[in-house]
Amino acid sequence: MADLGRAALVVTLGLAVYSLVAGGIAARRSERRLAASARNALYCSFASTLVAAAVLATALVRHDFSFKYVAAHTNRHLPVAYTLSAFWGGQEGSLLLWLLVLTGYGALAVAINRRLLRDLTAWVVPVIGGIATFFSFVLVAVASPFGTQTAPFDGNGLTPSLQNPYMVAHPPMLYLGYVGLSVPFAFAAGALLSGRTDERWIIATRRWTLAAWAFLGFGQLLGAHWAYVEVGWGGYYAWDPVENAALMPWLAATAFLHSVMVQERKGMLKVWNMVLVALAFELSVFGTFLTRSGVVNSIHSFSKSSIGPWFLVFVVISSVFSLALIMWRLPLLKAKTKLESALSREAAFLYNNLLLVALCLTILWGVLWPIVTQLVKGETRTMGRPYYDFFLRTFGLPLLLLMGIGPLIAWRKTSLRGLTRTLAWPVGAAVVTGVALAAAGADSSTPGLIAYTFSAFVLATIMVELVRGTRATGSLFLLVARNRRRYGGYVVHAAIVLLAIGIAGSSAYSSSVERRLTLGQSMTVAGYTLTNRGVTVDSKANVTETRAHLAVKGPWSGTISSGDNQYVNPPEPSREVGIKTDWLRGEDLYVIVDESHPKTGLIYVQVLVKPLVNLIWIAGIVFLFGSAVALWPDAREQRRLVARFATAVP
Amino acid sequence: MIFVGLLLAAAVVVLVALPFLREPVADDDRLDAPSEAEGRRLTLVEERDRALAALKELEFDHRTGKVDDADYRELVGPLRQAAAVALRALDTPQE
Amino acid sequence: MSTRSPARLVVALAVAGVLAIFLLYTAVAGHSTPTLTPSQIQGKSGKLAVVGTVVGKLRGDSHGTSGLRFQLVDPQGQKTKRVDVVYRGAAPPPLFRVGRSVVVSGTYVHGQLQGTDIVTKCPSKYTSSAS
Repeated sequence: MADLGRAALVVTLGLAVYSLVAGGIAARRSERRLAASARNALYCSFASTLVAAAVLATALVRHDFSFKYVAAHTNRHLPVAYTLSAFWGGQEGSLLLWLLVLTGYGALAVAINRRLLRDLTAWVVPVIGGIATFFSFVLVAVASPFGTQTAPFDGNGLTPSLQNPYMVAHPPMLYLGYVGLSVPFAFAAGALLSGRTDERWIIATRRWTLAAWAFLGFGQLLGAHWAYVEVGWGGYYAWDPVENAALMPWLAATAFLHSVMVQERKGMLKVWNMVLVALAFELSVFGTFLTRSGVVNSIHSFSKSSIGPWFLVFVVISSVFSLALIMWRLPLLKAKTKLESALSREAAFLYNNLLLVALCLTILWGVLWPIVTQLVKGETRTMGRPYYDFFLRTFGLPLLLLMGIGPLIAWRKTSLRGLTRTLAWPVGAAVVTGVALAAAGADSSTPGLIAYTFSAFVLATIMVELVRGTRATGSLFLLVARNRRRYGGYVVHAAIVLLAIGIAGSSAYSSSVERRLTLGQSMTVAGYTLTNRGVTVDSKANVTETRAHLAVKGPWSGTISSGDNQYVNPPEPSREVGIKTDWLRGEDLYVIVDESHPKTGLIYVQVLVKPLVNLIWIAGIVFLFGSAVALWPDAREQRRLVARFATAVP
Repeated sequence: MIFVGLLLAAAVVVLVALPFLREPVADDDRLDAPSEAEGRRLTLVEERDRALAALKELEFDHRTGKVDDADYRELVGPLRQAAAVALRALDTPQE
Repeated sequence: MSTRSPARLVVALAVAGVLAIFLLYTAVAGHSTPTLTPSQIQGKSGKLAVVGTVVGKLRGDSHGTSGLRFQLVDPQGQKTKRVDVVYRGAAPPPLFRVGRSVVVSGTYVHGQLQGTDIVTKCPSKYTSSAS
């Protein structure tokens, strides 16, 4: 069986090389049959990768421990869901998933566009073929999922803290995002290669980009939620390189989503969009390189893996290729219009891009800092939280504000007077909110108060847009249905605002107290009194659960428990924190018992109160909904527009 | 297993060679040729769509107060012209 | 028509502003922590972090006055250089044990690392199955 898997991957490699070489020749010489043949090769590469994936999935489900990969990441005890998710739990399997999504997306994108965008698609095929060549090469020659051994009786199993539904969904979501960014990249490269530098490639890939970006964003929130409930340090984001590896391409993709609107409407920023889409793609591969190579210290990676150098080579080659391509076609990328006013929608998008890219690059600098210092000073230095927090605030808060102002500005130019009139109410609402919150104690943190005030402002502007739009259209439903991209975008903005409020509340206004409590002893945190009621030890089939129980009195009364689990198979411990969400007051009581003595009842405990943290998770749902609205195709839009304006035009 | 593998490999080879098997000799192998007329039509459709979308957005911005009357009057004319040109060109039968 | 539009100037100023903020911050406040292996720690002192593998018996309790005591060696290569660690604070994360790779942050003084924070690496998911 492993032979079939290996063979399938070799076939994929062959097909990828063929679609790269034959596809390139066919596009260059405009040969129809060869181009069709290269296209077929791309389709077949998805099929053969699917075969390889099916082999691995079958081996997992059958507990075939003759597969080294299966033995390394599962065991007989493991519930089926986690056995299946082990597919992407390790290096080789996750690369196979990447290749599967890549060939699948590539085949689909090419198939959809092959008739209308013949010359463009002819070049997209070799670009996707090139990327697929790299990944299939790595899978065949460097990190094969199909290594075999004499089957041990049982496998290693999966670390208990990873046996969690969020960890099942998190990697595939991220991959649908990362790999999804290859599609706009390939079309951009195709546009440059075919000399078609109009907006066709943007229009063709708009939904792909939006979908990939939505998956990438939601995938990160899934990971953050897992960290919050499972890793249990009280936080959800640690600025670890592996986290930043997903955030950076997402920020670049966010900038790209906005700036393409400028190119679509005004024919400006052609070069910038090419650079941005290449940046987003390169960052997604680079991030993968960072987390797998061991080059920087991360909670995920440690030893220098053999795969690192290959990824680095690929990133360098594809970056040089992209840059050369852009520079070659620079004369064709001249803007059709100029920036006329610093107070225009074009300008607003430019400021938005500036802040997003600045944040992205400062994070990149922080991630690369250990490598830079090692090369320059011979001593590795790591950037800490304060660095990242500073720039998140400095660039993020203005960005938040911009989210409110931007949508109210028109193309080309907007009169300052008109804008001031429109902004009067939202600014007023924000000021009132700010003052009220400050009076209620929110002035304990200046950035927090600013975040809350700006958030109120943005929410007010979104409401203004909804009200004015409903008045203009007649019904809210019709308004959204007829303007899905815009109003879907507003819902996404609202989600980001919820995210901002949740982050501000849970970081700027959280409380934390650490105590040593003997049996019966109490402590107080932010209005809650917790009393140590003792420690229980519960031995089950596969796990021994040690829990300290604390009686809670305060805004609500009850019991909260926290402690450790010690598993038998695999013999790993995991920390189990106690989280109680008070929906009415909008805060979490978060209890971490890091040491407990069952006999004496002595415990060491850290209690946190995290206001508004659940808005972060709610924001994820709103984010998905908004993205879905923006993505929703409107088949009748064109007919409606033609019907409406055909009579109005001279 | 080997049989399945060989069968799949054969299918792949056939599919990749299919364009050449179907037309061993092609009179017109040019990628662009058949799509020239199509390409012109596509460009016109895109121009029409762009002009109409811009018109729609301008009208919407005007009705929701982002664009004042003076700016609207200034901008709407050229956009309507562009849309009209594109619509007319699409209605005219192509050679 | 003027060749230099004020709009462009505003955007250019915004870019310059962002760059200035970045440079100013990193020059003034952007202190990073040296992250060293036990063999690199000779002659250093002050706030730093040590990356290594935990060896030796774990003695003591992080909550106690004399702290949790253990040693760190280089994760790869020579195992001769050892760093004595005295860690005080919350109990180390559950994955912490002898043989695991960790990063201990703290102050290195008189040949001893006064640790205040421990980060344990997830057991390697992404190394090849050879491990």
